[in-house]
Amino acid sequence: MSVVFALATPPAKSAICIFRVTGRGCLSKIPELAGSPLEKNKKFYLRTIKNKSGDIVDRVGIISFKGPDSYTGEDSFEVYAHGGLGVMAMLVDVFKSLGFDEAPPGEFTKRAFLNNKISLAEAEAVVDLIDSHDQGGVVLSSNTLSGDFTEKVLGFSDTINNLRVRVEGEIDFSDEGESFFDSSLPNELSLLVENFKLFVGGCLNKKNHSAKNKVMFVGPVNSGKSSVFNRLLGFERALVSEKPGTTRDLVESEIFYNEASFSISDTAGLRETDDVVESKGMQFALEQLNSVDLVVGVFDSDEGSILDRFAELSNEKKYLKVYNKTDLGHVVREGVFDCMVSAKTGEGFDGLKKLISNAFKSDISGDYMYLVRDRHIGLFQSSINHLENALLKLSEDAGLELIAEDLKLARSDLNEIMGVKMSDSLLGDIFSSFCIGK
Amino acid sequence: MDKFDVVVVGGGHAGVEAAYAVYRSGLSCALVTFEKSKIGQMSCNPAIGGLGKSHIVREIDAMGGIMPIATDMSGIQYRTLNTRKGDAVQALRVQCDRDLYKKAIQKILNSTSINIFEEEVEDLIVEQKSVKGVLTKNKKIYGKKTILTTGTFLNGLMYIGSEVSSGGRVGDDSAIPLSKKLYDLKLPMGRLKTGTPARVKMSTLDLSVMEEQPGETPTPFMSLAGEVKQHQDQLSCFITRTNKTTHQIISDNTHLSAMYSGNISGIGPRYCPSIEDKVFKFGHKESHQIFIEPEGIGVDLVYPNGISTSLPKKVQEDFIHTIKGMEQCEITEFGYAVEYDFVDPRTNKKTLETKYFNDFYLAGQINGTTGYEEAAAQGLVAGLNAAQAIQKKPDFILQREEAYIGVLIDDLTTHGITEPYRMFTSRAEHRLLLSQNNAEQRLLSKAFKLGIIPEERNTTFVNKEKQYAEFVKTRLDKTKILSFINKEQQTVSLDEKRSISSILARPDVDENNLIELNKEEEIFFKRASTEIKYKGYIEKQTREINKNKKQNNKKIPPSINYKKISGLSNEVVEKLTKSQPETIGSASQIEGVTPAAINLILISIKKQELEKLNA
Repeated sequence: MSVVFALATPPAKSAICIFRVTGRGCLSKIPELAGSPLEKNKKFYLRTIKNKSGDIVDRVGIISFKGPDSYTGEDSFEVYAHGGLGVMAMLVDVFKSLGFDEAPPGEFTKRAFLNNKISLAEAEAVVDLIDSHDQGGVVLSSNTLSGDFTEKVLGFSDTINNLRVRVEGEIDFSDEGESFFDSSLPNELSLLVENFKLFVGGCLNKKNHSAKNKVMFVGPVNSGKSSVFNRLLGFERALVSEKPGTTRDLVESEIFYNEASFSISDTAGLRETDDVVESKGMQFALEQLNSVDLVVGVFDSDEGSILDRFAELSNEKKYLKVYNKTDLGHVVREGVFDCMVSAKTGEGFDGLKKLISNAFKSDISGDYMYLVRDRHIGLFQSSINHLENALLKLSEDAGLELIAEDLKLARSDLNEIMGVKMSDSLLGDIFSSFCIGK
Repeated sequence: MDKFDVVVVGGGHAGVEAAYAVYRSGLSCALVTFEKSKIGQMSCNPAIGGLGKSHIVREIDAMGGIMPIATDMSGIQYRTLNTRKGDAVQALRVQCDRDLYKKAIQKILNSTSINIFEEEVEDLIVEQKSVKGVLTKNKKIYGKKTILTTGTFLNGLMYIGSEVSSGGRVGDDSAIPLSKKLYDLKLPMGRLKTGTPARVKMSTLDLSVMEEQPGETPTPFMSLAGEVKQHQDQLSCFITRTNKTTHQIISDNTHLSAMYSGNISGIGPRYCPSIEDKVFKFGHKESHQIFIEPEGIGVDLVYPNGISTSLPKKVQEDFIHTIKGMEQCEITEFGYAVEYDFVDPRTNKKTLETKYFNDFYLAGQINGTTGYEEAAAQGLVAGLNAAQAIQKKPDFILQREEAYIGVLIDDLTTHGITEPYRMFTSRAEHRLLLSQNNAEQRLLSKAFKLGIIPEERNTTFVNKEKQYAEFVKTRLDKTKILSFINKEQQTVSLDEKRSISSILARPDVDENNLIELNKEEEIFFKRASTEIKYKGYIEKQTREINKNKKQNNKKIPPSINYKKISGLSNEVVEKLTKSQPETIGSASQIEGVTPAAINLILISIKKQELEKLNA
């Protein structure tokens, strides 16, 4: 089976991230990846990974597992890299440049099963995984779900197909006395390329988009911002203590919710202070406020003056008021807060996540705004390349069979995005559009 | 009692090729047919080749088959189609002398040890799910393997207007008892139809008002085996067209056509519509092309290709007489539609042995194809596999990326058919790898290993390949120049010396002005030029092919129950159950079968294997 890779740790900023790579022949690619082979199996080595242009991507730990003694039963290795999003993205590019493919959901487990590494019961779980709807996988936001995106991609696919029908007709039925295409074909093709590029330009990459979803937590000292922050992340990230003013730097992390990602930062609580370090932290936080998209105020009381002060701070940004510590049972005025939570018990967090994600919904409406994955951007690009190549070949008067090939490849990229094999009724389309047959 | 290794039923293009393959495999073979003198008969238009089809014939040629040789023994007009397009989609079409073609086939067969029986097969000898031979009126003919190639003769019915008669071809009976037998055996059967135009006396045509289409010169050969040295005299074809008056007569009488009467249930080919269909479906077209094909040297008969019909005789006469140059023509035989039985080809394994009965193979039109070439290819595959099986040798299966024959067999056995199946180059997703001109490079060594081509031919081929490699190395890779002439006939100077190969990759170069070549080198040069132009595409295709090779070759056990695989949609279950693909690769070809579905199937196969192990 082909070599595939996957990120084994969450796609979030953290201390380290781990990539797993498996498939026959993958070990022989290690020298190319990391400069030199690993002398021993199952031993941890420190290596530097460079990209194709020779720039250092990261200094990483690599360990190899020769099949069948590996999770999948095939030759495998793991790469332990630093956990920055940038590093992850660059590593993905490096793996791809070595000819590795991104593993579809459940792939590692599937291979493990096929190679007798795991039991039937475990395999049943894989079936569920594969069966889940992730395969289509286009959709990241409810906006793209609306079918509009699908419709647009299908539309392009149809246009490509119509052009190909004429080219293929001209190839297979050239002695039939029908004229399949004329000078309009190059024009139609170049119009398609233009429209298609415009559409792809309007597709937001998740990676770029995450930069837009900036959320910052503010609030009075010891209102539990960090606890709320950690609860939202699902693990301890910011240092939390009973002592007021524990958070001194901006702590940033990413969460994924509803398949959209948010960059969330926790700030030092705002109060008058003599502590130099803490006041620097606060100043920094105030500056950062300018670049965020959503401000979340976390409070532990409904005192009007404090609330007003933070409302002012948030300026004209979108602003959510959250009451923390519902577990303490204090009574608060109704309608003051957007959301009531308890960082301690987890109460109300589903609502908070929803509010945060809804706050960004309106940003990604608009005519040509679709949120797509890296993989899809790559496929779109590849499709465009094929179309441009077809156009070039047409202008060079190269063989029609090459133009047909490029059109076919352009369409199959779109098929892959949709995750379905679209019916290829090419011949049917030829017969219904042209009078064929002697 | 007669006993043979293989019994072939039918003397058409499939039967002949099957028998000849068995003979070349060194086994004994019986060929049973209605009428000896009709062996190798071309029942439709007298031409071999064309797009997708010449590709098949050249593949048959590379494996030492009979069709390409008979084509050259009888060819009276040769034309290469698509000369303005690239090598992969160029195709040779050969008009043949109908009578000479048949005689050529019979001559070749007579020089072999194949036993020809002039008998009607009435029944199959079936013992315990295995076919042991055939029963005719007078004889029992036993064979270790039986190959059925009955063409359109199974339950054939011919229609002209409201007239219906039994037969698979004018003047020939149809094979009714055998058809009944197949129904009795409960093979999945269906019905197809096709049609022919009227035949016309050449001497009664006014060819001077038609467009003449001469053959190309120098006249090429279909077969590269070098067996035929001398062509027949070459003739021209002619082109004329229908007109508004023709269409008026046809549309006024469409209701009288057998095909529109509702009597015919069979499905006809969309790429070969009757003239009624063309006028009805493409009403906006004012005229349709008619290709006048001569039937032979000194034969006063033509095949007017393009006006196949099942209208009543009087209407046929009327509309034909409106066509330019055909006003006074004399019709010798009227057009008719023929409807016949076929067996769902998904019944067959890729060896063309049926899945339901052992030692029983189906090849040719009985599998729902049309065309001499498609039939011959199946005959070759069935014959070779029968021979291989008898000798306990591995199956002979060509992959889709290896040959059009591989595409043909895979399409038939995996997808089945919805209309008479004809090959087109667009059916081959790896078309750029499969040129009619590289068939030998793809298949000759395989054929030699099977022992079905003479050693001498293999030696010639191997030497030629060596010469080619040497040519590329010395003349193209190592020869470097500083300037070349482009398509606008201007001299282009290069900043440094470059090899001829690298200049050939440029789109602007005028290849005719690049280097001096002798005749043999010209062929090499053309081949190299194509290989260089396709290089990027071919590398991409090859990567794709190799990527999933192991998984694609994984066999699916026949015992698999798709209904029991959770997660497969009902539609996919139904398609897979009907098709019973033999391998994962075939399954993934089926429409609607997603990569996720393939994963589920793989897991289920594994599960079965594990359960067996634990049982």
